[in-house]
Amino acid sequence: MAEGRYVYCIVESSQETQLGNIGINGIRVYTIPYQDISAIVHNCPPEPYESEDNDVVKNWVITHEKVIETAWERLGIVLPLGFDTIIRTGEEKDPKKVVRDWIKEDYQNLKKKLDRVRGKAEYGVQISWDTKIISHALIEKDEELNKLSEDIKSKPKGVAYMYRQKLEKLIREKLLREAENHFKEFYGRIKKCTEDIRMEKIKKEEEPRQMLMNLSCLADKNDAKALGDELDKINNKESIFVRFTGPWPPYSFV
Amino acid sequence: MPIDINEDNLKHGLLGLVIALVEIIRDALKHQALRRMEGGSLRDEEIERLGTALEEIDIAIDQMKKEQGISETVKSVRDGLDGLVDDVLDQIVNPAKWKEEYEKKEVKNG
Repeated sequence: MAEGRYVYCIVESSQETQLGNIGINGIRVYTIPYQDISAIVHNCPPEPYESEDNDVVKNWVITHEKVIETAWERLGIVLPLGFDTIIRTGEEKDPKKVVRDWIKEDYQNLKKKLDRVRGKAEYGVQISWDTKIISHALIEKDEELNKLSEDIKSKPKGVAYMYRQKLEKLIREKLLREAENHFKEFYGRIKKCTEDIRMEKIKKEEEPRQMLMNLSCLADKNDAKALGDELDKINNKESIFVRFTGPWPPYSFV
Repeated sequence: MPIDINEDNLKHGLLGLVIALVEIIRDALKHQALRRMEGGSLRDEEIERLGTALEEIDIAIDQMKKEQGISETVKSVRDGLDGLVDDVLDQIVNPAKWKEEYEKKEVKNG
């Protein structure tokens, strides 16, 4: 009968280790080593995990990430794999050998990837700003906007409405330009403290907050403090908010 | 995913969709009005009339959203459309992403 091994991640370790019953649905998790590289696995049928229930799937994915984090804390360097990565036995009946062969075949490549993340961790950096406060500041300091907002007060109702639309449009344009400047400046400063940066999709936030950038950064663990300090400086700017998370296993860089 | 339809949420959703569309048309009108005003082709009385009419539309829409309790529905329709447009734009004007996707495909096809 065909069998499967669910693979959570690859670690640099030659030990056969038990990680305990921490897997999906509380199953036993352990390592299968080939030379100095091991796969973190559990035993499962050769079919993917599927469910109609979103909460169930969510729990599985969270468990998947927790196992990777545990492996990362205990064994150091990890290459996380995606949820539902299952190696199944074919003609070869011994599942352990199938996994070993799989590592063997990709050994050089895995080795290179492990080297790349050695001593490094992933950090999440999200920078937002408060468009309402910034808009007010813009009207204060920009002559054109200031004049327009004064003009509105003395106009009849309908004209005032149209002028307000114009004011809003000008503010939007200036905000966009300001956002671009901020982005370039912050990106440059963050880049200096990191090895690699992945741009993630901007997430929608509750108005008037607006996200300017959402980055995954690969940084040497020794540089984490420098990165934190730089972000603190950015966070201290008027109406700019930085969210700094991590260290995480290098999910986005494998 | 199964679609859960009953009379209430159908009405709610449909009304939300209609108002979202009305808002989008209103925004287009506003945009045009603004362009004409800035282009100088409107007299003061015309600006006044346009502004008053647009403001009345704003008030009517807001009132309807409040009365029917559909503000959230309208917002989610518009956010959804915004997201769609963002995705499309992203693909058209972001050559770096094209390159990335192309390379990914190359790897996959070996």
